[in-house]
Amino acid sequence: MIAKIICYALNGLDGVPVEVETDVNRGVPSYEMVGLPDTVVKESKERVRSALKNSGLLFPVNKITINFAPADLKKEGASFDLAVAVSLLKASEQLIGTDLSDTVFLGELALNGDLRPVSGLLPILISAKGHGFTKFIIPEANAKEARFLGGAQIYPARTLTEVVRHLVGTVPIAPLETKKFVVGAAKEGSADLKYVMGQPVARRALEIAVAGGHNLLMVGPPGAGKTMLARCLPTVMPDLSFEEALEITKIHSVAGVLGEEGIVSERPFRTPHHTATTVSMCGGGNKIVHPGEISLAHGGVLFLDELPEYKRSTLEALRQPLEDGVITVSRAGGTFSYPARFMLCASMNPCPCGNYGSADRTCTCSPSEIRRYRKRVSGPLLDRIDLQVEVDSVAYDDLTSASMAESSAEVKERVNLVRNIQRSRFEGSAVSANAEMGERELRAFCALSEEGDRILRDAFERLKLSARARSRIVKVARTIADLDMSEEILPKHVYEAASYRIYDKLG
Amino acid sequence: MLYSPDEQALIWLCACTDTDHRERAALLRAVKRPAQLFEQGELFFANVIKRRVNGLYKEGGCAFEAARFVAEEEKKQRFFVTAVSADYPDSLKHIADPPLVLFCAGNGKLLKTRRFTIVGSRIIPPWAETTGRTFAQTLSERFTIVTGFAEGGDGAAIAGAMASGNLICVLPNGLNECYPAAHAQLKERVRRSGLLVSEYPPDERVKKYSFHARNRLLAGLSEGVLVLSAAARSGTLITANCALEYGRDVFALPHNAGVKQGEGCNALIKQGACLVTEPSDILSYYGMDAAAPVEFELSAAEQTVLTVLQNGGELHVTQIAESARIPVYEASATLAALEIKNLVVRAGANRYAALK
Repeated sequence: MIAKIICYALNGLDGVPVEVETDVNRGVPSYEMVGLPDTVVKESKERVRSALKNSGLLFPVNKITINFAPADLKKEGASFDLAVAVSLLKASEQLIGTDLSDTVFLGELALNGDLRPVSGLLPILISAKGHGFTKFIIPEANAKEARFLGGAQIYPARTLTEVVRHLVGTVPIAPLETKKFVVGAAKEGSADLKYVMGQPVARRALEIAVAGGHNLLMVGPPGAGKTMLARCLPTVMPDLSFEEALEITKIHSVAGVLGEEGIVSERPFRTPHHTATTVSMCGGGNKIVHPGEISLAHGGVLFLDELPEYKRSTLEALRQPLEDGVITVSRAGGTFSYPARFMLCASMNPCPCGNYGSADRTCTCSPSEIRRYRKRVSGPLLDRIDLQVEVDSVAYDDLTSASMAESSAEVKERVNLVRNIQRSRFEGSAVSANAEMGERELRAFCALSEEGDRILRDAFERLKLSARARSRIVKVARTIADLDMSEEILPKHVYEAASYRIYDKLG
Repeated sequence: MLYSPDEQALIWLCACTDTDHRERAALLRAVKRPAQLFEQGELFFANVIKRRVNGLYKEGGCAFEAARFVAEEEKKQRFFVTAVSADYPDSLKHIADPPLVLFCAGNGKLLKTRRFTIVGSRIIPPWAETTGRTFAQTLSERFTIVTGFAEGGDGAAIAGAMASGNLICVLPNGLNECYPAAHAQLKERVRRSGLLVSEYPPDERVKKYSFHARNRLLAGLSEGVLVLSAAARSGTLITANCALEYGRDVFALPHNAGVKQGEGCNALIKQGACLVTEPSDILSYYGMDAAAPVEFELSAAEQTVLTVLQNGGELHVTQIAESARIPVYEASATLAALEIKNLVVRAGANRYAALK
């Protein structure tokens, strides 16, 4: 008898249906798998055999052929185990009278028949639902991430025995209750701007950066608080919408880094160490391509501490995703696109010893050392960073004014306001924030007065700005004007925007 | 350009032989005119410089060698000014150990103008750099600015004088070499608009002592020397000391007490160097009128912030904002406006200083 069971394979962020066909025939006992399974899938033979036996079920002593269709798709991972086991049971007539044609089976089997979680479950469920499947049997350990998918009957099972009892109807499993998505309340002990003392210039730059979706570079001596400021970035970013959260969760699920909660409800904050390779940053792998740090930072912040210490090739690889918001990785196994629309926040010292420009300490670096250090960050990358700001190690006692520290919540309110302005401005276009404006939007929304234009020209001469910096300054000026609730870009906005391009002249 | 036999002999002696400056002086003392060197044989050279000469000096061959060298260099648009040339700067004749040959590339007319030297250490406070640039720019209308070729003080002088083209850079190495290597493009720009001068043959690489020797030319070439910044032990002070020795005027920018990069300048002022705070100080010293500085129209906020800075010295942006009673981000914008108008300068770490 032939049995057909539906299972799903991952292809990038999408699930692809795979039919597991099993034929149990009379003949010399054998157990064959065809249809381009890779090693892990082939190994499921032994797992399935033991799991069946240890669940008190019969493993047919016949000629068994298992086919994975479509045959041209490479199947990987252990998530087919459950489908293979169920199709064996069906083919060997141990599940008589059950209709399994509209159920998707996902899960890895342990030798004792327990079901183990699989990675990438949520993207599979979303794709399968799109393909019209509404019944799923999944491992219990994956239940948390599956709960957010509404409109489907999802049955979490702990063991193969439970699955069989559920299918034959003796002990049905209760379907999962759909959980409503709530935005993650700020966790206890997470960063907050109110704990950042002083740094008014950096705080302002941070607010502008988040409000307009601009990238940010902080330059300052060690211990000035650059990392602490960066950690506050997610706390002032607008709350995630359900769609955003789902998309981020999909990426995290595919990468297998989904936390306890089952869904990503806070904006991600990724801090890859400077030893990170290009592959770990952008994504890659042998056959299937895993999402890299920039995709894991999608919708959130990618923080690169000590920017010049990163490998040059790694940094240069960021340039294209920074423009396009998506990374396309090609491997022998296929070409995969992962979203990578993140906010880049980088920090660096002004010179190798860190004291260049400091008011009270002397820099011991020679000009050529400083030049070499700064040259490690290329001009094209710097051009993509709209805001460059100095973070100084000013002693708090220097500041006579009392508490000036706003909390993240207060800043976030203003950010949300500015984001709303932008949303209505870019209604109906692919652009969502000021930083993403192209030439067309710049012309439509960022007309400079004659005076503003003159200021920019002066700024170029005096501050030795690069020509490419012009549109960056205009975009930042637009955001500053938005924060000021001003329809027009006024000269003071241009001046302030120009003051955040300090690094152009240091290079 | 045609060179007399005497000039050719000096060029040959400096560029095509392996003699050092003492040996060259001895050889020139042994003949009446430099051109007579071409008529001498190996024995003469061996006798005068008292070492083996390894068949380098063939009778008759030396003149040919000199002509070939000159022709090759002229292809690269270089020229030579020798101690016996009419163009040789008078001011150099009165210094100890004047160079026999100046290897030059660029605008040779600059050697006939009035010259003024601006130097500063490589690591220099931002305000001094901007001030130096203003000085160089203003003075380059009346003088040709002479300076070195490093970053910092030299860089400020070059940046200020480049536009007018009244700029001479004296290199501590041959014209084919570039030190620092990152200034290769800058070297080409100076050659096009100004003048590059070296006392070394084209392929001579930079040596530790050649900075010291170069500094005597910086002082020797001009009427006065302005020191933008110098630590207590700085190469820049060598230039100042040479200038004193040769009887040139020494000017220095005053620095805050206790700032290392300015100790040398302050020490010079203590010893009697002329304290200057604006270009007109130097111009009036030489009896010239300064052009009226360009006046910018300042908004009320800009005026307030500028006044705060002028009263307070170098201040952090928070202090500026507090004194001017405006939010910090407005202070940043106003300061950027003033920076573009060249009235304030960033001193690093969000600190600003007013410029004169």
